[in-house]
Amino acid sequence: MITRFTPVLDALIRLRGVRASLVVAAPDGIAIDSNLQIGQDGKRVAALAASLYRKARSSATAAGLGATGFMQLEAEDGRLCMIGGDEMVIVVVAARDANVGLIRVEMLRAAEALA
Amino acid sequence: MIKTSVEPWIEAPLRAFVADAGVLLALLLHPSGQVLAQHGFFRAVDVMSACALAAAIHASSAELGRQLEGKPFSGLHAGNARQIYLAEAETARGPYIFLTVFDQASSLGLVRMYFEEFRATLAAAAPPPVAPQEPVLNANFEGELNRNLAELFGRA
Repeated sequence: MITRFTPVLDALIRLRGVRASLVVAAPDGIAIDSNLQIGQDGKRVAALAASLYRKARSSATAAGLGATGFMQLEAEDGRLCMIGGDEMVIVVVAARDANVGLIRVEMLRAAEALA
Repeated sequence: MIKTSVEPWIEAPLRAFVADAGVLLALLLHPSGQVLAQHGFFRAVDVMSACALAAAIHASSAELGRQLEGKPFSGLHAGNARQIYLAEAETARGPYIFLTVFDQASSLGLVRMYFEEFRATLAAAAPPPVAPQEPVLNANFEGELNRNLAELFGRA
């Protein structure tokens, strides 16, 4: 099924090292649309990443830092990148050696396109 | 003292679910409305009414699902600031109903995800039934309900 998110997710998954790209409903943590490589658990990633992003936004607000933009989590075997707002979060799962700069630019572009 | 569960094998899976999913209330009950475990309730009367309502909602939605899709609905979600999630957990001792209430500290995605884990650990922890299940009759329903509530809320 092609949705209005499909081109955005396709552009993200084409980047080298990207394993999954998802658009997630921020309050519910449920994937609206996703493009996943084999072995990626979209439901779990959506639920946990949205929760993480919401908590990061709350923390930034509590610390008086204003709105949260691009967020990146570095793990042993890869990275989780997120960007979004109150309604939607764009989530990318990438390999550790992926080009984060390029992913960031694409995600900012995607966030603008979906705003 | 308020206890979590009437049967000890339910305790660990329920505690793990509550800690992981960050929910406010959790209730495990028999489809007849008998409480088996709870978290977050402070009054027996609240558990009693929540169980009665959950059992009724489960029965109605299951029947609605059967009529619409030929099988019962697998879960029910409703609410806004405070939300409920109601679903069935199958064990060796038969099906149980699980009701949980959560707010914006959690999310439907998290609750669903951790409920799947809870369902699996509960099924693995459930001992085989000790005796064939007897039908729930009016004669013994209230006695068993009061016994379970007393066990949970310290008046046993």
